[in-house]
Amino acid sequence: MPELEDLTPEMKAAIGREGSPVIHEVTAPGIRTFARALGYTNAVYYDAAAARAKGHRDLLAPPGFFGMPIYTPNARSDSDAAAFAPEFNRTLNGGNEVEPLAEVCAGDVLEARTTVTDISLRASRLGQMMVVVQETAFRRQGTDEVVARTRKTSLRY
Amino acid sequence: MTQMTWDEVAEGQEIALVEEMTTQRLVIWAAAVADYYQIHYDEAYANENSLPGVIVHGALKGMLVGRLLDEFVGDGGRIVRWGVAYRGMDRARLPITVWGKVTRKYEENGRALLDLDVGVKQEDGTTETTPGTATVELPRK
Repeated sequence: MPELEDLTPEMKAAIGREGSPVIHEVTAPGIRTFARALGYTNAVYYDAAAARAKGHRDLLAPPGFFGMPIYTPNARSDSDAAAFAPEFNRTLNGGNEVEPLAEVCAGDVLEARTTVTDISLRASRLGQMMVVVQETAFRRQGTDEVVARTRKTSLRY
Repeated sequence: MTQMTWDEVAEGQEIALVEEMTTQRLVIWAAAVADYYQIHYDEAYANENSLPGVIVHGALKGMLVGRLLDEFVGDGGRIVRWGVAYRGMDRARLPITVWGKVTRKYEENGRALLDLDVGVKQEDGTTETTPGTATVELPRK
Protein backbone atom coordinates (compact mmCIF):
# COMPACT_ATOMS: atom_id res chain seq x y z
CA MET A 1 0.00 0.00 0.00
CA PRO A 2 1.58 3.35 -1.04
CA GLU A 3 2.54 5.88 1.65
CA LEU A 4 3.85 8.88 -0.24
CA GLU A 5 4.87 12.16 1.41
CA ASP A 6 4.16 14.13 -1.75
CA LEU A 7 3.26 13.65 -5.40
CA THR A 8 5.98 11.88 -7.40
CA PRO A 9 7.65 13.75 -10.31
CA GLU A 10 5.65 11.54 -12.68
CA MET A 11 2.38 12.60 -11.03
CA LYS A 12 3.34 16.29 -11.09
CA ALA A 13 4.29 16.00 -14.77
CA ALA A 14 0.92 14.43 -15.58
CA ILE A 15 -1.07 17.45 -14.35
CA GLY A 16 -2.14 19.57 -17.29
CA ARG A 17 -1.13 16.98 -19.85
CA GLU A 18 -3.61 16.10 -22.56
CA GLY A 19 -3.66 12.42 -23.48
CA SER A 20 -3.75 11.05 -26.99
CA PRO A 21 -7.21 11.27 -28.52
CA VAL A 22 -9.43 8.23 -28.09
CA ILE A 23 -12.04 7.43 -30.72
CA HIS A 24 -15.51 6.48 -29.48
CA GLU A 25 -18.04 4.78 -31.72
CA VAL A 26 -21.70 5.49 -30.98
CA THR A 27 -23.63 2.45 -32.16
CA ALA A 28 -27.32 1.57 -32.03
CA PRO A 29 -26.75 -1.58 -29.91
CA GLY A 30 -24.54 0.49 -27.59
CA ILE A 31 -27.25 3.11 -27.14
CA ARG A 32 -29.93 0.47 -26.46
CA THR A 33 -27.79 -1.37 -23.91
CA PHE A 34 -27.01 1.87 -22.06
CA ALA A 35 -30.68 2.90 -22.09
CA ARG A 36 -31.80 -0.56 -20.94
CA ALA A 37 -29.34 -0.63 -18.03
CA LEU A 38 -30.72 2.71 -16.86
CA GLY A 39 -34.37 1.70 -17.28
CA TYR A 40 -35.27 4.29 -19.90
CA THR A 41 -38.60 3.65 -21.65
CA ASN A 42 -38.56 6.57 -24.12
CA ALA A 43 -38.69 5.09 -27.65
CA VAL A 44 -36.18 7.65 -28.99
CA TYR A 45 -33.44 5.55 -27.32
CA TYR A 46 -34.58 2.24 -28.83
CA ASP A 47 -36.27 2.91 -32.19
CA ALA A 48 -34.58 4.97 -34.91
CA ALA A 49 -37.92 5.72 -36.62
CA ALA A 50 -39.38 7.04 -33.35
CA ALA A 51 -36.27 9.19 -32.87
CA ARG A 52 -36.52 10.63 -36.40
CA ALA A 53 -40.23 11.33 -35.90
CA LYS A 54 -39.18 13.54 -32.95
CA GLY A 55 -36.69 15.43 -35.14
CA HIS A 56 -33.48 13.61 -34.24
CA ARG A 57 -30.98 12.56 -36.93
CA ASP A 58 -31.06 8.90 -35.88
CA LEU A 59 -31.44 6.77 -32.75
CA LEU A 60 -30.70 9.25 -29.94
CA ALA A 61 -28.07 8.61 -27.25
CA PRO A 62 -29.30 9.21 -23.67
CA PRO A 63 -27.56 12.01 -21.77
CA GLY A 64 -24.11 10.90 -20.65
CA PHE A 65 -23.59 8.30 -23.39
CA PHE A 66 -20.68 9.01 -25.71
CA GLY A 67 -20.26 5.59 -27.26
CA MET A 68 -17.63 3.01 -26.61
CA PRO A 69 -13.89 3.62 -26.96
CA ILE A 70 -12.33 1.43 -29.60
CA TYR A 71 -10.68 -1.40 -27.71
CA THR A 72 -7.09 -2.18 -28.60
CA PRO A 73 -5.31 -5.03 -26.79
CA ASN A 74 -2.41 -3.85 -24.61
CA ALA A 75 -3.02 -0.19 -25.37
CA ARG A 76 -2.90 2.23 -22.46
CA SER A 77 -3.86 5.87 -22.63
CA ASP A 78 -1.16 8.25 -21.42
CA SER A 79 -3.83 10.15 -19.47
CA ASP A 80 -4.65 6.94 -17.57
CA ALA A 81 -3.53 7.00 -13.94
CA ALA A 82 -1.97 3.55 -14.38
CA ALA A 83 0.56 5.17 -16.71
CA PHE A 84 1.89 7.74 -14.23
CA ALA A 85 1.17 6.14 -10.84
CA PRO A 86 1.33 2.34 -11.11
CA GLU A 87 1.77 2.09 -7.31
CA PHE A 88 -1.95 2.87 -6.96
CA ASN A 89 -3.32 -0.10 -8.83
CA ARG A 90 -6.93 -0.19 -7.67
CA THR A 91 -9.56 2.37 -8.46
CA LEU A 92 -12.94 3.69 -7.34
CA ASN A 93 -15.02 6.24 -9.18
CA GLY A 94 -15.17 9.43 -7.11
CA GLY A 95 -17.58 11.46 -9.19
CA ASN A 96 -18.89 12.36 -12.64
CA GLU A 97 -20.02 15.62 -14.15
CA VAL A 98 -21.59 15.97 -17.59
CA GLU A 99 -22.25 19.05 -19.68
CA PRO A 100 -24.20 17.99 -22.81
CA LEU A 101 -23.77 20.54 -25.64
CA ALA A 102 -25.19 18.87 -28.75
CA GLU A 103 -27.16 15.75 -29.51
CA VAL A 104 -25.34 12.46 -30.05
CA CYS A 105 -26.89 9.82 -32.30
CA ALA A 106 -26.17 6.31 -33.57
CA GLY A 107 -23.49 6.41 -36.22
CA ASP A 108 -21.60 9.32 -34.66
CA VAL A 109 -17.86 8.95 -34.21
CA LEU A 110 -16.46 11.06 -31.38
CA GLU A 111 -12.92 12.01 -30.54
CA ALA A 112 -12.33 12.21 -26.78
CA ARG A 113 -9.45 14.35 -25.53
CA THR A 114 -8.75 13.98 -21.83
CA THR A 115 -6.62 16.24 -19.66
CA VAL A 116 -5.56 15.50 -16.10
CA THR A 117 -6.49 18.71 -14.28
CA ASP A 118 -5.59 17.81 -10.70
CA ILE A 119 -3.88 15.14 -8.62
CA SER A 120 -3.83 15.06 -4.82
CA LEU A 121 -3.16 12.59 -2.02
CA ARG A 122 -5.44 11.91 0.91
CA ALA A 123 -5.92 9.43 3.70
CA SER A 124 -8.92 7.10 3.61
CA ARG A 125 -10.11 4.01 5.41
CA LEU A 126 -8.75 1.98 2.47
CA GLY A 127 -5.30 3.54 3.03
CA GLN A 128 -3.66 6.37 1.14
CA MET A 129 -5.59 7.48 -1.92
CA MET A 130 -4.56 9.41 -4.98
CA VAL A 131 -7.40 11.61 -6.23
CA VAL A 132 -7.20 12.26 -9.99
CA VAL A 133 -9.48 14.73 -11.77
CA GLN A 134 -9.74 14.40 -15.55
CA GLU A 135 -11.67 16.56 -17.98
CA THR A 136 -12.70 15.25 -21.37
CA ALA A 137 -13.98 17.11 -24.41
CA PHE A 138 -15.88 15.00 -26.94
CA ARG A 139 -15.74 16.34 -30.49
CA ARG A 140 -17.33 15.02 -33.64
CA GLN A 141 -14.43 13.40 -35.40
CA GLY A 142 -12.86 15.66 -37.98
CA THR A 143 -14.62 18.80 -36.69
CA ASP A 144 -14.18 21.33 -33.90
CA GLU A 145 -17.75 20.80 -32.68
CA VAL A 146 -17.68 19.86 -28.99
CA VAL A 147 -20.76 17.74 -28.24
CA ALA A 148 -20.07 17.38 -24.52
CA ARG A 149 -17.60 18.05 -21.75
CA THR A 150 -17.22 15.70 -18.82
CA ARG A 151 -15.25 15.72 -15.59
CA LYS A 152 -14.36 12.54 -13.74
CA THR A 153 -12.78 12.09 -10.32
CA SER A 154 -10.94 8.80 -9.81
CA LEU A 155 -9.85 7.49 -6.43
CA ARG A 156 -6.77 5.29 -6.79
CA TYR A 157 -5.57 3.23 -3.85
CA MET B 1 -45.98 12.22 -21.65
CA THR B 2 -47.14 15.77 -21.03
CA GLN B 3 -44.40 18.35 -21.41
CA MET B 4 -43.56 20.13 -18.16
CA THR B 5 -43.14 23.88 -18.53
CA TRP B 6 -40.88 26.14 -16.51
CA ASP B 7 -43.90 28.18 -15.39
CA GLU B 8 -45.45 25.13 -13.71
CA VAL B 9 -42.40 24.33 -11.57
CA ALA B 10 -41.92 25.79 -8.10
CA GLU B 11 -38.78 26.00 -5.98
CA GLY B 12 -38.84 23.12 -3.50
CA GLN B 13 -40.50 20.73 -5.96
CA GLU B 14 -39.22 17.17 -5.64
CA ILE B 15 -38.79 14.37 -8.18
CA ALA B 16 -37.68 10.76 -7.62
CA LEU B 17 -37.21 7.28 -9.06
CA VAL B 18 -36.96 4.05 -7.04
CA GLU B 19 -34.67 1.58 -8.79
CA GLU B 20 -33.82 -2.07 -8.13
CA MET B 21 -30.08 -2.70 -8.25
CA THR B 22 -30.03 -6.38 -9.20
CA THR B 23 -26.74 -8.02 -10.13
CA GLN B 24 -28.23 -8.64 -13.59
CA ARG B 25 -28.66 -4.92 -14.00
CA LEU B 26 -25.05 -4.30 -12.98
CA VAL B 27 -23.92 -6.75 -15.64
CA ILE B 28 -26.00 -4.97 -18.31
CA TRP B 29 -24.39 -1.71 -17.19
CA ALA B 30 -20.92 -3.26 -17.31
CA ALA B 31 -21.54 -4.26 -20.92
CA ALA B 32 -23.02 -0.86 -21.79
CA VAL B 33 -19.92 1.07 -20.74
CA ALA B 34 -17.24 -1.66 -21.04
CA ASP B 35 -16.50 -1.46 -17.31
CA TYR B 36 -15.57 -5.01 -16.41
CA TYR B 37 -14.11 -4.29 -12.98
CA GLN B 38 -14.80 -7.43 -10.90
CA ILE B 39 -15.92 -5.58 -7.75
CA HIS B 40 -19.25 -5.10 -9.56
CA TYR B 41 -20.05 -8.79 -10.14
CA ASP B 42 -17.57 -11.04 -8.28
CA GLU B 43 -18.36 -11.33 -4.56
CA ALA B 44 -15.02 -12.97 -3.65
CA TYR B 45 -13.02 -10.40 -5.62
CA ALA B 46 -14.91 -7.55 -3.91
CA ASN B 47 -14.18 -9.02 -0.48
CA GLU B 48 -10.47 -9.38 -1.31
CA ASN B 49 -10.47 -5.66 -2.13
CA SER B 50 -11.74 -4.60 1.31
CA LEU B 51 -15.32 -4.17 0.11
CA PRO B 52 -18.40 -5.53 1.87
CA GLY B 53 -19.56 -7.32 -1.28
CA VAL B 54 -20.52 -6.50 -4.86
CA ILE B 55 -21.18 -2.77 -5.13
CA VAL B 56 -23.16 -0.65 -7.59
CA HIS B 57 -21.04 1.18 -10.19
CA GLY B 58 -20.71 4.86 -9.29
CA ALA B 59 -21.36 5.89 -12.88
CA LEU B 60 -24.58 3.84 -12.98
CA LYS B 61 -25.87 5.99 -10.10
CA GLY B 62 -24.62 9.17 -11.73
CA MET B 63 -26.29 8.32 -15.04
CA LEU B 64 -29.53 7.34 -13.25
CA VAL B 65 -29.55 10.93 -12.00
CA GLY B 66 -29.20 11.85 -15.69
CA ARG B 67 -32.28 9.74 -16.49
CA LEU B 68 -34.25 11.37 -13.67
CA LEU B 69 -33.42 14.79 -15.13
CA ASP B 70 -34.02 13.68 -18.73
CA GLU B 71 -37.50 12.39 -17.89
CA PHE B 72 -38.23 15.54 -15.88
CA VAL B 73 -37.31 17.96 -18.71
CA GLY B 74 -39.00 15.82 -21.42
CA ASP B 75 -38.49 16.18 -25.15
CA GLY B 76 -38.94 19.94 -25.01
CA GLY B 77 -36.39 20.72 -22.31
CA ARG B 78 -32.71 20.00 -21.92
CA ILE B 79 -30.10 19.25 -19.30
CA VAL B 80 -27.51 22.04 -19.08
CA ARG B 81 -25.22 20.11 -16.72
CA TRP B 82 -25.23 17.71 -13.81
CA GLY B 83 -22.59 16.36 -11.51
CA VAL B 84 -22.42 14.00 -8.55
CA ALA B 85 -19.81 12.76 -6.09
CA TYR B 86 -19.69 9.13 -5.00
CA ARG B 87 -19.36 9.52 -1.26
CA GLY B 88 -20.71 6.19 -0.18
CA MET B 89 -21.06 2.73 -1.63
CA ASP B 90 -24.37 1.14 -2.47
CA ARG B 91 -24.43 -2.63 -2.21
CA ALA B 92 -25.97 -4.64 -5.01
CA ARG B 93 -29.43 -6.19 -4.57
CA LEU B 94 -30.82 -3.29 -2.54
CA PRO B 95 -33.16 -0.68 -4.04
CA ILE B 96 -32.05 2.96 -4.24
CA THR B 97 -33.99 6.19 -4.55
CA VAL B 98 -32.69 8.64 -7.14
CA TRP B 99 -33.96 12.08 -6.21
CA GLY B 100 -33.93 15.74 -7.17
CA LYS B 101 -35.20 18.93 -5.58
CA VAL B 102 -35.56 22.31 -7.30
CA THR B 103 -33.50 24.86 -5.39
CA ARG B 104 -33.66 27.87 -7.72
CA LYS B 105 -35.93 29.01 -10.54
CA TYR B 106 -34.54 31.85 -12.68
CA GLU B 107 -34.09 33.32 -16.13
CA GLU B 108 -30.71 34.00 -17.65
CA ASN B 109 -29.97 35.32 -21.14
CA GLY B 110 -33.55 34.58 -22.14
CA ARG B 111 -33.34 30.98 -20.94
CA ALA B 112 -35.76 29.55 -18.36
CA LEU B 113 -33.58 27.60 -15.95
CA LEU B 114 -33.82 25.51 -12.79
CA ASP B 115 -31.06 24.50 -10.40
CA LEU B 116 -31.56 21.29 -8.47
CA ASP B 117 -29.91 19.36 -5.69
CA VAL B 118 -29.75 15.71 -6.69
CA GLY B 119 -28.62 12.46 -5.12
CA VAL B 120 -29.11 8.80 -4.38
CA LYS B 121 -30.49 7.52 -1.10
CA GLN B 122 -30.28 3.99 0.22
CA GLU B 123 -33.29 1.93 1.22
CA ASP B 124 -33.36 3.44 4.72
CA GLY B 125 -34.33 6.72 3.05
CA THR B 126 -31.71 8.77 4.85
CA THR B 127 -28.20 7.60 3.88
CA GLU B 128 -27.09 9.82 1.00
CA THR B 129 -24.34 8.22 -1.08
CA THR B 130 -24.23 10.35 -4.22
CA PRO B 131 -24.83 14.07 -3.60
CA GLY B 132 -24.74 16.50 -6.49
CA THR B 133 -26.25 19.44 -8.33
CA ALA B 134 -27.81 20.05 -11.73
CA THR B 135 -29.08 22.79 -13.99
CA VAL B 136 -31.85 22.21 -16.55
CA GLU B 137 -33.70 24.36 -19.07
CA LEU B 138 -37.44 24.03 -19.61
CA PRO B 139 -39.73 25.51 -22.24
CA ARG B 140 -42.01 28.40 -21.24
CA LYS B 141 -45.77 28.01 -21.22
